[in-house]
Amino acid sequence: MSVALPTSVDEVVDLLVRNPSATLLAGGTDLMVEVNLHGRRPTDVVALNRVAELRTWSVDSSRRTVTIGSGVPYAEMETGELARLLPALAEAARTVGSPQIRAAGTLGGNLGTCSPAGDGLPVLAALEASIDVVGPNGSRQVHFADFMVGVKRNSLRPSEFVRSVTFPLNDGWQGYAKVGTRNAMVIATASVCLVRTNDHVAVALGAVGPTIIRANGAEAWLAANHRMSSPPSNDTLAEFGRLVREASRPIDDHRSTAAYRRHAVGVLAQRLLTRSYS
Amino acid sequence: MSLVGAKVLRKEDPRLLSGTGTYVDDLSPAQCAFASFVTSAEAHATIDAIDVRAALAIPGVLAVYTAADFTDYPDLPGGLPTLERPALARNTVRFVGEPVAVVVAEDRYIAADAVAAVTVSYSPLKVMTTIEDATAGDSVPLFPRHGSNVITIVPTMDDLEKELAKCHGRASLHIVNQRCAAVPIEPMAVLADWKPDGLTVWATFQAPHHLRNYLATWLDIPQMNCRVVAPDVGGGFGSKIVWYPELFIAPVISKLLRRPVKFAQTRTEAMMQMAHGRDQVHDIEVGYEKDGTIKALRLIVSQNLGAYGDPTGLGLAVLTTWMAAGAYRIPKVSTSFRTVVTNTTPVAAYRGAGRPEAAYSIERIVDQVARQTGLDPAVVRQRNFIPPSAFPYETHNEAVVYDSADFPAALAECLRIVDYDAVRAEQKARRNDPSKPLLGIGLSCWLEIAGFGPNGSLEGFGHLASWESAQVRIQPDGSAIVYSGSSPHGQGHETMLSQIASDELGISFDRIKVITGDTAAVLQGIGTMGSRGAPTAGSAVKVASSRVLTRAKRIAAHLLEAAEEDLEVVDDAFNVKGSPGKKVSWGDVAWASFQPLRIPPELQAGSLEERLFQESPNFSYPSGAYACVVEIDRETGDVTIRDMVLVDDCGTVINPLLAEGQVHGGVAQGIAQALYEGVSYDSSTGQPVTANLLDYLVPSAADLPDYKVGRTTTLCPNNPLGAKGIGESGSVGAPPAVINAIVDALSEFGVDHIDMPATPEKIWKAMKSGGNS
Repeated sequence: MSVALPTSVDEVVDLLVRNPSATLLAGGTDLMVEVNLHGRRPTDVVALNRVAELRTWSVDSSRRTVTIGSGVPYAEMETGELARLLPALAEAARTVGSPQIRAAGTLGGNLGTCSPAGDGLPVLAALEASIDVVGPNGSRQVHFADFMVGVKRNSLRPSEFVRSVTFPLNDGWQGYAKVGTRNAMVIATASVCLVRTNDHVAVALGAVGPTIIRANGAEAWLAANHRMSSPPSNDTLAEFGRLVREASRPIDDHRSTAAYRRHAVGVLAQRLLTRSYS
Repeated sequence: MSLVGAKVLRKEDPRLLSGTGTYVDDLSPAQCAFASFVTSAEAHATIDAIDVRAALAIPGVLAVYTAADFTDYPDLPGGLPTLERPALARNTVRFVGEPVAVVVAEDRYIAADAVAAVTVSYSPLKVMTTIEDATAGDSVPLFPRHGSNVITIVPTMDDLEKELAKCHGRASLHIVNQRCAAVPIEPMAVLADWKPDGLTVWATFQAPHHLRNYLATWLDIPQMNCRVVAPDVGGGFGSKIVWYPELFIAPVISKLLRRPVKFAQTRTEAMMQMAHGRDQVHDIEVGYEKDGTIKALRLIVSQNLGAYGDPTGLGLAVLTTWMAAGAYRIPKVSTSFRTVVTNTTPVAAYRGAGRPEAAYSIERIVDQVARQTGLDPAVVRQRNFIPPSAFPYETHNEAVVYDSADFPAALAECLRIVDYDAVRAEQKARRNDPSKPLLGIGLSCWLEIAGFGPNGSLEGFGHLASWESAQVRIQPDGSAIVYSGSSPHGQGHETMLSQIASDELGISFDRIKVITGDTAAVLQGIGTMGSRGAPTAGSAVKVASSRVLTRAKRIAAHLLEAAEEDLEVVDDAFNVKGSPGKKVSWGDVAWASFQPLRIPPELQAGSLEERLFQESPNFSYPSGAYACVVEIDRETGDVTIRDMVLVDDCGTVINPLLAEGQVHGGVAQGIAQALYEGVSYDSSTGQPVTANLLDYLVPSAADLPDYKVGRTTTLCPNNPLGAKGIGESGSVGAPPAVINAIVDALSEFGVDHIDMPATPEKIWKAMKSGGNS
């Protein structure tokens, strides 16, 4: 096994051009599980932890966006300025693994793996983040909705990798909630990110389908039937929950049944909507 | 001032908490090779062929061995005739993870690669992971020579059908006590070094002398040439008194390769290879009168043994049936059990070992009686308690005579701390307020059998004897070394035994050292299990110390030219009472004790040393009253433990910090069994689906409440300390308190029972379906 230790984005691209099948290593919180538990044996590894550019984040106040490098660990999103700018991402970050895992795990890793249970991904979906992808032909911006295309499948082309994620900043309310099998160090059995602005509510569902699901029907129904300035009535909540459940496409596995996942994702969405008014 | 009863900080902690402890895997002698096991990927199959050529071709691989290389050695100890377990699977594999071959390499990484390069071909056989499957009409015997998967049957003489029928009412429950994994923080590890003049084995083990006894026999070497060391041991909970193949194979490899050989499990290996616990199915039924008094109890137990009958695993159901009636005076008790082998990891002791299962079922059925009679669960308990005046109390089994307890006092203290009436009132108010979570309160008035034990008790599990040894040795400077045959794995023996010795000897705590876990240093020993440390090892140290002091006083009196009875020991010195300043220090007495010219003529040099084997006339019976208050999310079924009150009676408390620590840890495991943990298998393939800590849900600190701890004390009359032991209490008492609270909270949905672990999903389904979960 060879391990390359590039220090710049260009170097990473060069390495990937020379060897498109090389395995990228960010925090290792997914890859090392694959290696240790599932017998994955990468032959060439490109470790990203020395690429300083990937470990930075910045605010563009004119465009009202925040851009987070793919190598920024979750621990940095939990508190401080990033948490103030992106509270839903902070909430999601706090539910990731243990402090040790959060110090290592990155958004880039989450995007590379693209697990439907990836804790950060519903936030990207609800906030309509755009992903800065770099490759041999330069960079391109990919909407999250076009990035994740299936269970653990993304639309990266050969020799491409994720440089950063750009989130639009808005004045609305945003929140994240997750159900797992215990209170810490769990894989989500269902997760929801909800973003409410003056005229719209965005709802993204995690761990209840092959990709992160936007509950478009529920969003449209709310926009048409709910006055955003006031808290939802019980009837509104019930219908909203029903439409969210309807949008989910969960499966049975050893962590949960599809029925419970569908139920839970509706409850989480209802609670987030209620919370957005409190 | 007495140290027994004082909150003394743990002596071992500076070492253990600063990372300077020594665990087996910290030891790396020169030339040490590393072993790794090829384990079965099939739950039940015959082995057609094992191809090791590719593994042997890897540079750094020293050898690969299969069962064919161990034909000179017997099967592992403790197996029943026709059910023996070979050290490496021979012809047949019976569970996923069963060792099939062993690879030895220069380091663990090469060994891991070599393991992956070994190809084993199997012909699958029918897989049976549950008692139901293993006893079904189309089941196939795991051991064809035995002919059936039912290994032992202990029937009842009287099923009490007549008594039950006569009662005002009957209550029954079908209860699954799920399989749990012990999950010690340190998985199994062994290092063997075979030298021409003898073998040394370092093993993470709860009973090093026990291992020495069996290992020497198995290897056919004299015990004098077989030294076993248990260095610092990172938890055990019963899973480290099991005859794992690696303990026996590592010495043989060391002999063959003439190098030290080490094996250390990964967590995934540990989840499949270390023995599991529990896995019993109960049918419990009681007959009661209108006032809630229980007249008859019938308990039918089925024990899933896993693939091989471990000596302890075979005995678990015995302990369960012994403790079937719990804290209650029930005139008629009928118990029966059977044990069954399945294609799963073998089952053995796990913290509580048979007693949590008993406490859980009796405490659940008492709540069911309360439900059916409309009485408060506290009242039903009070009406059925064995009264304090009835001890010693003879139970339905002649082996079981409860020593002492005051159940009404413990429950009263528990109800006071939890503010029972206020919680009941709050619960009533919440019934009509759907905006708030459901509220439930559960009680558990448990008792267990511990302090193993009286002569004959541990012999039944294959141990040499049931005593525990102590040796107290005064050094020439007056410091003391205490050797104990009870080898700790986290309990705090060094602190506890130093406190006891300090009180008896009058030597300060800091001048006492405790040595355990080495068969070359400690004369003989039994081990640490069954909540026996304080009652047996502690009592042994107490008696041995007091004998040493008697002789020390004689020497001091001789030196001071005073009468022995006029001496008192204060501040590491012998003082003549009433004559201030007339004294001789412990150091001077100790120094003199080695000088024949300075000691009384009837004593010999070196007499300040005592060794003894402390026997017990009976078991001890720790008990307690626990209360759990839960809130349940009406929409998700998520349980939050709002309050957990733990009133323990362990007799004499040696150190309240250690006692509380034991209860906290035990309750964590008990809550975890109630809410989170459960080993499960894919029933068609026998593949484990919880073989890592992502899917096997050990609790985190974020899952556990703060505990409120209380205490009542009834002394154990069967040992000089009056101690009952407390190592297993929490894991016995907590599960029924939690589940009773959950079932109580769900009562408005008509839910009578919910099996552990009570996951949010199960609770949600129970709320939806009106109880039939």
